[in-house]
Amino acid sequence: MTKKIVSFSIVIVLLLVSAVYAATTGSIKMGFFEFIAALFEDGNNQMEAIRDLRFPRIIVALFAGAALSVSGVLLQSVMRNPLADAGVIGISSGAAFVQLFIISFFPALFFMTPVLAFIGGAFACALVFALSWKSGLSPLKLILVGIAINAMFTGLTEAFISLGGSLNTSVSGVIGSNLTMRTWKDVSTIVTYGTVGLIAAFALFSWCNLLVLQDKTAKSLGFPVARARLIIAAVAVLLSAVSVVVAGVISFVGLLVPHIARRLVGHDHKVLIPFTALAGALLILVADTIGRTIVAPIEVPASTIMAIIGGPFLIFLLRKE
Amino acid sequence: MDIQNIIVSHDNTRNHLDGVSTMIQKGKITTIIGPNGCGKSTLLSVLSRNNTPKSGNVSLENKDLLHYKSKEFAKKLAIVYQQNEIPKDLTIEKLVSFGRLPYQTILKRNHEEDTKAIEWALACTNLLEKRNTDLEALSGGERQRVWIAMALAQQSEILCLDEPTTYLDIFYQIELLELVKALNKEHGFTIVMVLHDINQAIRYSDQIILMKAGQIVAEGAPREVITREVIKEVYGVESIFHEDKQLGFYMVPLGI
Repeated sequence: MTKKIVSFSIVIVLLLVSAVYAATTGSIKMGFFEFIAALFEDGNNQMEAIRDLRFPRIIVALFAGAALSVSGVLLQSVMRNPLADAGVIGISSGAAFVQLFIISFFPALFFMTPVLAFIGGAFACALVFALSWKSGLSPLKLILVGIAINAMFTGLTEAFISLGGSLNTSVSGVIGSNLTMRTWKDVSTIVTYGTVGLIAAFALFSWCNLLVLQDKTAKSLGFPVARARLIIAAVAVLLSAVSVVVAGVISFVGLLVPHIARRLVGHDHKVLIPFTALAGALLILVADTIGRTIVAPIEVPASTIMAIIGGPFLIFLLRKE
Repeated sequence: MDIQNIIVSHDNTRNHLDGVSTMIQKGKITTIIGPNGCGKSTLLSVLSRNNTPKSGNVSLENKDLLHYKSKEFAKKLAIVYQQNEIPKDLTIEKLVSFGRLPYQTILKRNHEEDTKAIEWALACTNLLEKRNTDLEALSGGERQRVWIAMALAQQSEILCLDEPTTYLDIFYQIELLELVKALNKEHGFTIVMVLHDINQAIRYSDQIILMKAGQIVAEGAPREVITREVIKEVYGVESIFHEDKQLGFYMVPLGI
């Protein structure tokens, strides 16, 4: 019990510290007290710039991290597979491709981007499920299928962008995951859908806990296994789709964070889901802040940093399997 | 439970259950035995709705099994499978509490009754002291008892067990069968189980269903069903039978 409380406290403190650090570091610098004072006064020019440029970026990073990590927890529960991650198994790239594809032909549907991304993610998720179902969702098989699906959608997206580069340049933002120039409009998208998804995920914690039982056992308790899987997977896809729309494809977060979270707070989803959300928010915020300060003024995207940490981590997990 | 002309085929080339009809008597211990691949576990999975027959039907209290809602059915019948994956980081009590699922809805939950049922299930299976132990730390015999405790928390009338003694050493086998017997005698559970050991079946059952190649060969009280000729026919094994005041009726296999 104490380990859980300590873990929660540490993550919350680190979150606050990194949020303040992220807000006060970069081309415009501010001291901590100066920042706190400026927060409550109007007309500070530096503060206005931070408000317009950095705050949206920080909020987007926090929500994208939380959404992707929780999406990972849900996918791992639904697929009974500790290696599932929206980025690695192609759900994010499916979301990115479908959204890009449809918007290019029907730019008028721009306001529906999150819905389109959701459809793409759901399609990719269904493909992975269908193709690895026969093997009893064996962890390695599922990852292999997922990597293939991911490669396919990433390839399609890249091909589409190079073919239609002149057609519509504004959409190319979806493929990289640079968090620069996020606006308050992006914030409202990710906060709205992200909050809905995160609350829904938490509401499903007891279902996630029951999915640790084998299907036949869960069924014998009268648990609607198929329906539960479908609903949990839908929430997972929603969470990853909305982060793709606003922050682009970031892989490995959903793999790394839940894994560490389980070590710290255990396997009970009632505790695991909120903790994962906080830890995921922290990780992406830190990755993004490091990325934009380490070799400033050049920016290293958060997704690149995650890939550098995440790749070896996946190998580590595979060796343990 | 009334079973009418059940046909099941897993692959549509041959019938794994080929026209099985029988009655499971309320309040009795019924044991299904037979050689490997005879369809005994398949029959159990039809009774527990884990397998839907191609034709035929099973009725429970004059209602077709398939017409029960899943939670309603889980209150009538609980099943313990032969092999269960052990979830990580889960205590005995937590797992047993899953057995209360049929009584819970998102909005409604009777904590008092749940606690009572869980306590009772833990007490029956002698797990009260270990309730906070992690499943991974348990021995094979204890694990099997935990799954039974979960099924007991369902407070069903019928309890099905699929080869509950396989993979257990003789001590745990006897302990488990004595538990099953007590559940039947003291708590009135109707028991349907699949066993491999013929002598255990004889000793612990009121009714035996003997199967071969998807069909029922013989059924009834152990003394009537198990004979030298039938064992030869079904298993291809020569045996002698003996009756003894101390040991009761038992079989000794001689050879093939």
